[in-house]
Amino acid sequence: MTEIYLRLVNLILTPLIILVAILLFLRGHDLPGGGFIAGLLVAAALELTILSRGATVTREQYGPWLIPLVGLGLLVAVIAGLLGIYGGGFFHGMWIEFYLGGDKIKMGTPQLFDLGVMLVVIGMGVTYLLRLSEAAEAVSKNDAVEGEQP
Amino acid sequence: MNAVASGSTLVERYAWAPTLGLEVALKLDGLALFFGLLITGIGTCIAFYTNYYLEGDRRQGYFYLVLYIFMASMLGLVWSDDLLTLFVFWEGTSITSYLLIAYKSEYKGAVEGARRALIVTTAGALAMLAGMVLLGLEAGTFNISEILAEPGIATAAITPVALVLLFLGAFTKSAQFPFQFWLPGAMSAPTPASAYLHSATMVKAGIFLLARLHPAFSDLPLWFWSLFLVGGFTMVLGAVSAIRYTDMKALLAYATISVLGMLTMLLAFQEEYALEAFVVTVLAHALYKAPLFLSAGIVDHAMGTRDLRRLAGLARALPVVALTVVLATVSMAGIPPTMGFLAKELLLENFYDLFEHSETLIGGLGFAIAALSAVFLGGAVFTLTWEAFFRRKPDDEAAHLHHAPSFWFAAPALLLTILGAVGALFVGSYEQVLLAPAIAAVAGEPIEVHLKLWHGLTPVFFASMGILVLAVVVFLARGLFRRLYARVPTGFSALAVYDATVDAIYRLAYRVTTVIQGSPMAPQLSVTLLAGVAVVFYAVFFTDGSTSRLLDSLEFPTLTEWAIFALAIIAAITTVRARSRLSAIIALGVVGVTVTLFFIIFGAPDLALTQLLIEVLTVFLLVLVFFHVKPDTPIAHDRREPFRLLVAVAMGFFGFAVVMVNHLSQVGESISPYFIENSLELGKGSNVVNVILVDFRGYDTMGEITVLALAALGGYALLRSTQMHALRQRINAARQMLASEPEPAKSESGREAGHD
Repeated sequence: MTEIYLRLVNLILTPLIILVAILLFLRGHDLPGGGFIAGLLVAAALELTILSRGATVTREQYGPWLIPLVGLGLLVAVIAGLLGIYGGGFFHGMWIEFYLGGDKIKMGTPQLFDLGVMLVVIGMGVTYLLRLSEAAEAVSKNDAVEGEQP
Repeated sequence: MNAVASGSTLVERYAWAPTLGLEVALKLDGLALFFGLLITGIGTCIAFYTNYYLEGDRRQGYFYLVLYIFMASMLGLVWSDDLLTLFVFWEGTSITSYLLIAYKSEYKGAVEGARRALIVTTAGALAMLAGMVLLGLEAGTFNISEILAEPGIATAAITPVALVLLFLGAFTKSAQFPFQFWLPGAMSAPTPASAYLHSATMVKAGIFLLARLHPAFSDLPLWFWSLFLVGGFTMVLGAVSAIRYTDMKALLAYATISVLGMLTMLLAFQEEYALEAFVVTVLAHALYKAPLFLSAGIVDHAMGTRDLRRLAGLARALPVVALTVVLATVSMAGIPPTMGFLAKELLLENFYDLFEHSETLIGGLGFAIAALSAVFLGGAVFTLTWEAFFRRKPDDEAAHLHHAPSFWFAAPALLLTILGAVGALFVGSYEQVLLAPAIAAVAGEPIEVHLKLWHGLTPVFFASMGILVLAVVVFLARGLFRRLYARVPTGFSALAVYDATVDAIYRLAYRVTTVIQGSPMAPQLSVTLLAGVAVVFYAVFFTDGSTSRLLDSLEFPTLTEWAIFALAIIAAITTVRARSRLSAIIALGVVGVTVTLFFIIFGAPDLALTQLLIEVLTVFLLVLVFFHVKPDTPIAHDRREPFRLLVAVAMGFFGFAVVMVNHLSQVGESISPYFIENSLELGKGSNVVNVILVDFRGYDTMGEITVLALAALGGYALLRSTQMHALRQRINAARQMLASEPEPAKSESGREAGHD
C-alpha cells in the first residue's frame, strides 16, 4: 500500500505545506488566509502522510494527539474570549502593537481565537481522514483474506 | 463576615456581553455567606474523609476533581446575583452530581440512578430557565437584587407562570413530591458524595432559590399554598417511608427528603419563627445528616455491607463511629440540648403561634404534619442506631469486620456531629454574626434574632417530649411498620410513573424515527430537498411581483464567465454520465473547482482558498469511502431515474432562486459597508473576511468550532473500523444475494446501506 515515490513527496511536501499553512495563518488578519484555511491545509498535508505511509503508521504517530487537539483549540478560543472581559466584555478584542526591526507587529485576542479555530479544524479534519482511511485499509485487508478463501 | 453581619453586602459584577445585558454578578449577603460557609465547612470535612474512603482507589484523583468542581459550582450558585449566572452554576451542580453518582460505573444501578437524577433535575432546570427568562423580561433585568427590589413584580400578570416554572426547577432539585424518587436512586454514589451533595448542600439549592425569592413573592397565595402543600406532603412522605428501608443510606435519603420538605414548607411563611426555624434547620440538618451518612460509609467500608439486616453490635468494633452516630441521632430526634432540638422547637413554635392566633386551620395542620414527621423520623433514626450498633444479633447472617477504620477516618464526622450536638448551647455567641444576617436576607428586612434553647415548660416543650415518646413507640413497633409497607404494591410510586414515561418517550422516538428515516438514503434525501424547493418556489412565484424585477436586473456575463460556465456544465454532465463512481467523484471535484474560479474572478480569495481546500478534501473522503468500502460497480439505471432527474432539476432551481432572491431583496440596510469600513479601525485587520470571522462574528465562529469539535468526536466514535467492518459484511451479504438474483435487487443493497 505504501508507495515509495509518494513517500518522497510526503517527506518534502508535507513540511512545506505546513509551513505555508503557518504563513497563511499568520497573515490571515490582513491578507487572504486565517485559521480555518490554515487548518484545512494542515489536514491536507497530513492526508499526504496517510496516503504515503498508511493509516496505521500515521495513527501511531499522530493519533493520540487529535482529540486533545480539538479540546485544546476550544480551550484556546474560550480563553481568547475570556481575556476580552478585561477589555469590556466577552470576546472584546484586545491588541498589543510593537515594532520589531522597523516592522510593525501586532498581536491580539482575535488572532488567539483564530489559533483555536485552526487547532479545532486540524483535529477534526485529520480525525475524519484517518478514521476513513483506517476503515478503507481494514476493508482491503479483509478483501485480501476473503479473496484467498474461495 | 463582620461587614455582612452589620447589614452590608459585597457585590462584584463582570460584564460578559454588555450589548446583550449579560453579566456575571456575585453578591455576598447574609444568606449567601451562611450557605457559603456551610458548603466550604462541610466540604473540608468531606475532603479529609474521602482520602480514607477511597484509599488506594485508582480514580481517587478524578473523584476529587469532580468534587471540587462541584464545590466551586455550588459556591457560585449561592453567591450569584444574576438569574442566568445562577442557572449556569445550577447546571454545573447537576452535571457534577451526575458524574459523582455514576462514579462506580461498573454497577448498573449507579448509571441508572445517575441518569435518572440528571434527567429529572435538568428537566426541572429547563422549566426554571423559562421562568427566569419570563421574570427577567418582565423586570427588565436579570439581576436578582434589582428584580426583588422591583415594586410591581409580585403582581405582574406573568408572575404566576414564571413562579410555577421556577417552582418546578426548585422542587426537582430539592427532591420535592412528586420528584422525590431520584434522591434514593442517587445513593449509589460513593458515600462522600451522598453526604455532601445529596444531603448537606446540592439538594438545598432549590430551597436556596426559594429563599432568595422569598422577600418579593411570599405575599402571594400561590406561593404560600404551593410551598405549604408540596413541602408538607413531601415532609410526611419522606418521614413515613424512611423506616421501611434496611439499607442505611436509603433510610437516610428518605429522612433527607422529609427535611427538605420541611424547609420548603417553612419558606411558605413570613413569620419570624418560621424563618428562624428555616435557617437553624439548614444548619442542624447539615451537622447531623452528613455525619450519619459518613458513618454509614465507614460501616460499609469496614463491614462490606450497610444492610441493617446483616449488622449488629457494631458499637464494640467501631466505638468512635458509634459515638458519632449516637450524638447525631440525639440531634436528629430533637433531644435537648442539641441543635436539632432547637430547630424542632422553632418549627413547632411557629405552628403553635399561628394556631393560637388567627390561622387555626393552617397552624393546626402544620403542627400535625410537623409532629407526625418528627415521630417517624425519630423512630427511623432510633431503628438505625439500635440495629446497627447496639443489638446483640442481626436478622440475617452477620457481616464480618474486614478492617477496622483508623481514628482519622471517623474524625471529620465526629467533629461535625459534636458541633451539632453542643452548638446550640453557645448559640448566643454566633447568632448575630451567622444566623441573623441569613434570616434577614430571607425576610428581606432586618430582624431581631434572639434564639433561646430553653423556653421554659411551654406547651411546645411538652409536645416535643410527647413526640419523643411516640418516636420510641414507633421504634419499638418497627417490625409491624415494615410488614405493613411490604404490602404496598410496587406500581404505586412516583418512580414507576417516571419509568413508564421514559419508556413511552423511547417508544415514540423509535416509531417517529422508523416513519421518518426508515427508507433508504435517496428517497429520504429527496423529501428534505423537495421541501426546501417548495418553500422557494412559493416565495418566487406566489408572492408579490418580484420575479420580473429579478429577470430585469440580470447582467450579461463576460467571456471569461461564459468559459467557466461551460467548464462547470461539462463537468456536471460528466458527473452524471460517468460509468464508474471514481470518475463521477473526480468530475464532481471539477465542478467544485469551477466555483472556486468564480470566487477568484469576483475577488474573494479567502473563499476561493477555503473552497479549493474543501473540494480537495471532499474528493479524498469520497474516494476513500466509495472506492474502498464499496468498490467500483457500474451505476445501474432503473425506473426511478425520472424522479431523480426531477429532484435534481428542482434542486438546481432552488440554488439559483435562493442566490437570486438573496441578491435582490434587501431587508433593512446592508451590514457589509459597516464591516468594510470598520474592519481596520475596530478589528485591526485589513482582511475583512477574517476580521468578521474572528472578531465581529466571534460568537458565531465559537459556535461553529464547537459543532466541528462535536463532529470530530462523533466521527471518532462512529467510524471505528469494527463498525465499518460490520457494515461491510452486511453489504457483502446483500451483494451475494444480488449475484444470485437478476437486476432489480439493486435497491435492496441500497436499503441495507441506508439503514446504517
